[in-house]
Amino acid sequence: MAKAFRASAGIMLAPAVTLIGVFVLLPMLLTIWLSFQDWSTQTPFSEASFVGLGNFHEIFGPTSVGRDFKTALLNTAIYTALSVVLILPLSVVFGLLVYQREVAGGTALRTVLFSTYMVPMIAVALVWSKLYAPSEGPLNQLLGLVGIGPQPWLSSPRSALISIVLLNVWQQVGYFTVLAIAGLTQIPGSLYEAATLDGANGREQFRFITLPLLRRTLLFSAVIAIINAVQVFEPVALITQGGPVGSSNVLTYHIRRVGIERAQGGLGSAMAVMLMLSLIVCVSALFAFVNRKDSE
Amino acid sequence: MSLARISKLALAAALVALPATGWAQSVNISYLTHWSPETVALLEAAAKDFSTTHPNVAVTVRAVPFGDLLTTLRSQGGSSDGPTIGGIYDLWLPELARDKLVAPAPDAVANEVKSAWPAGVVSAASVGGTLYGIPNEIDVYALNYNKELFKKAGIAAPPKTWAEFKDAAAKLTDKDKGQQGFGMINSWAAGVVHPFASLLVSNGGNLVKDGKPALDSPQAGETFALYEDLIKSGVSNPAMATADANTTGPFLDNFVSGKTGMIIMANWWESALKTGMGDKFSQVATAPIPVGPSGDKPHSISYSWMTVVNAKAGEAEQKAAWEFLAWLNSPKSGKNGASAMSDILMSMGILPSRTSDIEAHKDKLGSEFLSGYVSVLADARPFPVVLGGQEFSESLQQTLEALQYGQVSAKDAQANAQADATSILERAAK
Repeated sequence: MAKAFRASAGIMLAPAVTLIGVFVLLPMLLTIWLSFQDWSTQTPFSEASFVGLGNFHEIFGPTSVGRDFKTALLNTAIYTALSVVLILPLSVVFGLLVYQREVAGGTALRTVLFSTYMVPMIAVALVWSKLYAPSEGPLNQLLGLVGIGPQPWLSSPRSALISIVLLNVWQQVGYFTVLAIAGLTQIPGSLYEAATLDGANGREQFRFITLPLLRRTLLFSAVIAIINAVQVFEPVALITQGGPVGSSNVLTYHIRRVGIERAQGGLGSAMAVMLMLSLIVCVSALFAFVNRKDSE
Repeated sequence: MSLARISKLALAAALVALPATGWAQSVNISYLTHWSPETVALLEAAAKDFSTTHPNVAVTVRAVPFGDLLTTLRSQGGSSDGPTIGGIYDLWLPELARDKLVAPAPDAVANEVKSAWPAGVVSAASVGGTLYGIPNEIDVYALNYNKELFKKAGIAAPPKTWAEFKDAAAKLTDKDKGQQGFGMINSWAAGVVHPFASLLVSNGGNLVKDGKPALDSPQAGETFALYEDLIKSGVSNPAMATADANTTGPFLDNFVSGKTGMIIMANWWESALKTGMGDKFSQVATAPIPVGPSGDKPHSISYSWMTVVNAKAGEAEQKAAWEFLAWLNSPKSGKNGASAMSDILMSMGILPSRTSDIEAHKDKLGSEFLSGYVSVLADARPFPVVLGGQEFSESLQQTLEALQYGQVSAKDAQANAQADATSILERAAK
């Protein structure tokens, strides 16, 4: 009986497992194999030659290849950390504001917040590159009205990456607000009523009821925000091309430059493997942290 | 005659006629370029003219931004369904030829090119003596300056030496008005490297000599030091320098709005300046690159573009593509003995490279803006076309940008640039 059950389960799972194997696992394994090869993306796989850890040695080495990779890795880490740190609290704040059903215009505000997520990145890039323009840009003109001098935004290595982060936060916060609202709807109203009867004020209710019960939602939001941020490509390709001085050069954009533009498939694959490993480590650490908190 | 016999004869006749029918069928070829929609329309009109004499060949034109051109060629050029013809920058040719993405020119085309184009341009379109493309444009760098700002600053003539150049840049700088004397470029590899290389060759130096990087020379050291001086003295502001190959961004905005006194740019810049400045375009003048303390006379950097044919395209498509390109670049296709290609290029202010095209466009090439470029062409040094050239260029861009933003000293920038270039060119040559 159990044998027949296992066989039928296997048959039913086979299509999905095969598809995942062909379209997800196989490309991943191929990328890992290529990371140990010297291979031009313009030649067949048969022309790849084994170089062991040579590509990894190169991308962490002192030459321009290593320097550019390490800069791109660091930029991606900064971009991801800043994006998550800004998006998650803002999404909770906006979620709490919008979730107040009795507030007039709540639905309209929710629509406006989510609409930024639906705008195509090319349109966002065009508008924001003009907003950030050093002399005639509206942002600097607004700052001028309150007595703050013009900021270099995208023109300075100190602020280019942060400027891209702000653009990302503006575009993504609506989506994460919707997730936060979904989490808030799952919290029973009776808990707040009981807390109110017990004399808990709004801040205490947020700290001891809302935040703990939003933990699962926030974990999901954090994982999605990290994956989205690590995969950032479009704003960099459309606005800064990684500059100035490589200050906004993120890994996906750099891998495209190395692997496709320069056809250095082995080096590009080694960089992609490192990106994948970094992502796995980050997400696993996050899950481990939340699970530990849960067990406490 | 029996029915069976008639059927056999009909089948045999059909088999014999099949290859001829195949040749008579239309051939579709595609042309990948980075030109603007207005220029693409001119190319499409030329393709239409071609189809009147070649009704079986249909040419479609596809345009992508310059920044995506190489990626598109690399990602789609390896397939028979990729673009049949591609317009490419000469620096990309060695690697595209090594990876067998571009087809060698047929003998007839190669012989025509070798006899009708200057030898230097032919060599930039060749790898190991084999011609891969039909050259079309040549670009050269010169000093552009705003005559109105020069007049206001009391500068009578464009600078001829680096000393005069630094002096003029200081006089043109007015920080209260947000005005800089000399505009550098950042965020775009060729835009950063070519003006630097033009100053370097005008100081008697080279980027690459005998296939090896030559950035450790005293002449290169002086050029890095010049950049450091210009930044430290405040006559060049890197925050005003962002640009891309589509000539958008603060670099263009600042020059067209009269906030930058001098820049070093190529001739193809003319159309962007005209669009940005309107009537004020007449304020722009061109002069040779100022000569450095170790230089003998003004030189500048030149580079060329060419059209290549996809080596993976079918035989009929390749044949049609070479026929189209030979026609497009021949004196028969344009006006008054010029090629249709040169007419398209001249609409953008780009210098054609075919000898007969230069003659045919003599009048327009004598305009105040372009004549300054034509005059420096004879002493221009071609940008080194070597394996790894694009990576070398991007690496030098990073170093120069770090120098612009004060992250490294001129001395360190020179050492880094030489070390990086050595490692890149050695790896590419393996």
